[in-house]
Amino acid sequence: MLYGDLFIWWAISISWSIVFLIGVGIYLYRNSKKRVGESSQTKASTVAVLSNFVFIWVLIGLLTLYIVSIHMGSSLLFAVGNIAVEVILIVYAIVGGTKKSG
Amino acid sequence: MIAISVILGFYNEYKAEKIVENLRQSVSLKAVVTRDGKAKEIDSRLVIPGDLVSVYIGDIVPADIRVVQSKDLQTNEAVLTGESFPVEKTSESLELQHPIPQQLTNYLFMGTVVAHGIGRGVVISTGKNTEFGSISASLTRSHPETEFQRGVKKYGNMLITLTLALVVGIFSLNALVGHPIIGSLLFSLAVAIGLVPELMPAIVTISLSQGARRMAKKRVIAKRLVSIEDFGNMNVLCTDKTGTLTSGKIILKDSWSLDKEAKILEYSLLCNNAVVGDIISGNPMDVAIWEHATENGVRQKMKSYITLDEIPFDYRRRMMSAVVKQNNEATLIAKGAPESVLPKCKYAKITARTEPLDAVQQLIQSQLAEHSGSGYRTLAVAYRTVNLKTNYSVEDESDLTFLGLLIFTDPPKKEAHQAVNLLKNMGVNVKILTGDNELVAAKICNDLNIPVKKLIRGSDLTQMSSTEIRAAAEEATIFARITPEQKLDIIKALKANGHVVGFIGDGVNDAPALYEADVGISVDTAVDVSKDAADIVLLEKDLGVLAHGIEEGRKIFGNTTKYILMGTSSNFGNMFSAAAASVFLPFLPMLPMQILFMNLLYDVANMTLPTDNVDEEFIKWPKRWDIGFVRKFTLFFGPFSSLYDFLTYGIMLFIFNASAGLFQSGWFVESFWTEVLVIFVIRTRRIPFVTSRPGKWLTILSLSCVAFGTILPFTILGDFLGFTALPVEYWMLLVLMVATYLFLVDAGKVFFYKVCKL
Repeated sequence: MLYGDLFIWWAISISWSIVFLIGVGIYLYRNSKKRVGESSQTKASTVAVLSNFVFIWVLIGLLTLYIVSIHMGSSLLFAVGNIAVEVILIVYAIVGGTKKSG
Repeated sequence: MIAISVILGFYNEYKAEKIVENLRQSVSLKAVVTRDGKAKEIDSRLVIPGDLVSVYIGDIVPADIRVVQSKDLQTNEAVLTGESFPVEKTSESLELQHPIPQQLTNYLFMGTVVAHGIGRGVVISTGKNTEFGSISASLTRSHPETEFQRGVKKYGNMLITLTLALVVGIFSLNALVGHPIIGSLLFSLAVAIGLVPELMPAIVTISLSQGARRMAKKRVIAKRLVSIEDFGNMNVLCTDKTGTLTSGKIILKDSWSLDKEAKILEYSLLCNNAVVGDIISGNPMDVAIWEHATENGVRQKMKSYITLDEIPFDYRRRMMSAVVKQNNEATLIAKGAPESVLPKCKYAKITARTEPLDAVQQLIQSQLAEHSGSGYRTLAVAYRTVNLKTNYSVEDESDLTFLGLLIFTDPPKKEAHQAVNLLKNMGVNVKILTGDNELVAAKICNDLNIPVKKLIRGSDLTQMSSTEIRAAAEEATIFARITPEQKLDIIKALKANGHVVGFIGDGVNDAPALYEADVGISVDTAVDVSKDAADIVLLEKDLGVLAHGIEEGRKIFGNTTKYILMGTSSNFGNMFSAAAASVFLPFLPMLPMQILFMNLLYDVANMTLPTDNVDEEFIKWPKRWDIGFVRKFTLFFGPFSSLYDFLTYGIMLFIFNASAGLFQSGWFVESFWTEVLVIFVIRTRRIPFVTSRPGKWLTILSLSCVAFGTILPFTILGDFLGFTALPVEYWMLLVLMVATYLFLVDAGKVFFYKVCKL
């Protein structure tokens, strides 16, 4: 690797963007629970919380895939991993999404 | 871009103003004044305080005048107070503490119309010192900021903060790690420019202009383009009653009689002061009787009658009489206020017989109570057979036989009911602000099916503190007997409560409220001062066009929001990753010129955004400018873009061992693809995004720009910009990577819209 010494910086940067994203997600989720939860006083089940954060598990999976495949310099692993994630995301969008969420 | 925005905005506003200007009828009014004992007709603008002015039926009152002499004088003050029925004016002095115009029965107000009788009075005030003038003068201040303008300002402040932070941060970091100072400064400035949505004024202006043109086709003129978005976001519509919800024209709704075959309509036509020619003019109630009779073919029956004499209406008697002859039999017919006619009745006509009035007095009184309680005006009709003679006098108006009641109303407009329902379904709460009395206002609400939560009178409002007014404005549906200043207070209170407030009215008394509201709406038949104060002018009386205007406003707001959300989130992500990369990379991740070129190309792709389709569910409900939402959106979706930028860096550095030129080309293409293609994901809340059809021109232009960005590194221009050709393997990885990015953002929407609402 010509830029081998930069790998650690790169890994930190890409990981940081995902950590930031997860942090924002948790903040927004807690914020919304504070707004809604105060009136309903209902506690979401662990399963519901986990399902709300599906995109986080996907992000962590992607991060692993990207770091590993790029570290190995494997375009094939990168391509296969992406296709697999795309299938998961399409299924998630179809199941979790609504046609008219207005 | 900025110059085009300014020219477009100016041209559209000028054109709209011109249309309204052309609607104006310039009429030179005359007034009859007595100066030095001599009566003469002068231009009404030359009337001065102290002049003795005479007014006659049909005159427009030239100044505020204290009545000193009157004969059956009535004026139509709807334009000033909202009261549909004519108001009687006398010279009698009044003792009132803080009178409102409606209570001043010895005053004539400038701009009102003499509906009946004649009068004389001393001019007290003219021009801007009149009630009319003080209202006009209050409109010379600058328009208050609309909700949309306030939102744009907040958005601008957010961007300035973000841009400054990035410029300072990037420049300092680059300088610290030893990058050249000038290069670092240029790079940080390019990043800052990349963050600025410089196309926003053009997008907003084009959207507003197109919306205004579409609205004009439906006969809705947007005088102030900036108000169109607030038109869409309006969640409270305050409306004047007379001429807006009602036709502003008195009609004879019905008659009531104990005699099924009563000739009440014939008799009221015979005892009538309306002037009948090509058009029917005079006292509105007499006119209404004639119009009703014409519609029902009663006029033909009049030919068999000969009018012998008339005892005219006067204020003290509050009734008039006519003596008519048919088949050699003379009949005196009396018509007037029930409280004046009934005491002169001794009998009542009940089918086929005549009975003493006392037997049915209670029934008549209950009818009167019911009709006045429902907001109707009534006149009583009575008659008696009289001997044939030359002259008849007031003394003949005795021992009358009560025939029945005439019931008048200013009816709701035919389309008002449908329009109110439509507004309700679009999330717009309707409130009535009227100078008319509470019974009439409640009746209109009942007719239009508007649920009345609370009714507040103007006299109640005068006792309230500003906090209490805010609470009252929130709770009440009807505000009756209120002054123009109180209308203004209510609009201000509703705005302070966080509503986007519209106001629709057509009278002088509505002008201050029209001016203060986020969206002031008037009609083409309105007085000039009211049209001047309005942002929107309806050329059709059909209130249904309101719904169309609201829909247009919501579409424009939708497309403006899309641009802001896309621009800030993807730009923020790209620029953020550029900033991070500039620190650890041995070269600039993209040259300043390349950043600016990408920015320009992205703007071109967005040019057709104003023509984009807006999902029907988005326009169902009013939205608000929520800068917090924009911030959350940017913070959430920006890092998605950064993630894929970092990924591209990784691929270029560690898979392709890229040189500076190759790296910059790779990142340019990836960055541009993601930035433009994500438009199709973010433009809709629907998940998956493919269920929402984008606009044809947006699709064509965006994809064309993507194609241009793709071939750019292979062209001479690309060479000039410092790009180099990319390997085939990169393109394959890029397609996969961008597809994952788009699906990831779409999946992120599932989470984001669950926790954040606009």
